[in-house]
Amino acid sequence: MSTDARKESLRYLFERVVTPLGYKFSPDEQLVDDLLEAEVQLEQDHGAPFCPCQGRTGVREEDMKIVCPCIPFHRAHFDAMRRCWCGLYVHLDVTDPDSLPQFPPDEV
Amino acid sequence: MVDEVFVYALSTCPWCRKTKQWFDDSRIAYDFVDVDKLPDDEQDAAADKAYELSGGRRFPVVVINGEVIVGYSPDKFLEHLKGWGGGS
Amino acid sequence: MTGPCWVPTIDDTTVPDGAYVAVFPKGLGVLLTRVDGDLYAVANKCAHMGCPMEGGKLEGYVLTCPCHDWRFDVRTGVFLDAPELSIRTFPLKVEDGKVHVEVGGA
Repeated sequence: MSTDARKESLRYLFERVVTPLGYKFSPDEQLVDDLLEAEVQLEQDHGAPFCPCQGRTGVREEDMKIVCPCIPFHRAHFDAMRRCWCGLYVHLDVTDPDSLPQFPPDEV
Repeated sequence: MVDEVFVYALSTCPWCRKTKQWFDDSRIAYDFVDVDKLPDDEQDAAADKAYELSGGRRFPVVVINGEVIVGYSPDKFLEHLKGWGGGS
Repeated sequence: MTGPCWVPTIDDTTVPDGAYVAVFPKGLGVLLTRVDGDLYAVANKCAHMGCPMEGGKLEGYVLTCPCHDWRFDVRTGVFLDAPELSIRTFPLKVEDGKVHVEVGGA
């Protein structure tokens, strides 16, 4: 499957997951495209579409919690930021994603 | 005053790129490592260092004069840059 | 209008307790599981990326997808880490020793 085709299929699969959680793809189309491209590459190289902005440890139990969409495993933190860590998803009512700060969970 | 800045980054992460760009645009010298671009045998050590400093696995991890900032956060960068009136 | 569509699958006795068996009523991927004597039927398709759930671990009522470890309760289909998400569950009944699965809305 080509990278573009896989990007499209991830977009389709993940939209069904994040919508019931109150999230949508960021309105920043360029950011979304960059992140999905990175995820396709990570999936090819490491077996899963891991978050492009979080590091793997090699411990399966931990690494599976950063497979996109990782919202269910970081809900309170992401809800406080109104975005996920990498910014691929934002709360449904967000129109200006650049205004959303990125801060670690201990600052929630 | 010279600020010591180090950025732990992932090449796949747009916020890591934005962080480097911010330091470039601000004309502040910094060192960085793209952890995922290191040779296999060096990746674990660099990642572990970033995890230890940040207490998590999120990138970017920015160290400014010994203070650790997790995430792309220009306001916090400024707070810790002596040359910009921040720091202690 | 489509009414209930009960489809016979396998013998009741072929689903062991604490395990699951994949069946395909009307071509639909379904896992029959038995926990503490009770039968349950859930879609053989993860709510995350559509992976087949077959091959995943069943511990108590919790079925874990083998792809990325998403965990579901086989009684309700609910995803344990976010109740807004679930895999489909199907009504079932045992008649004449066979497990019948209702796939009417399939």
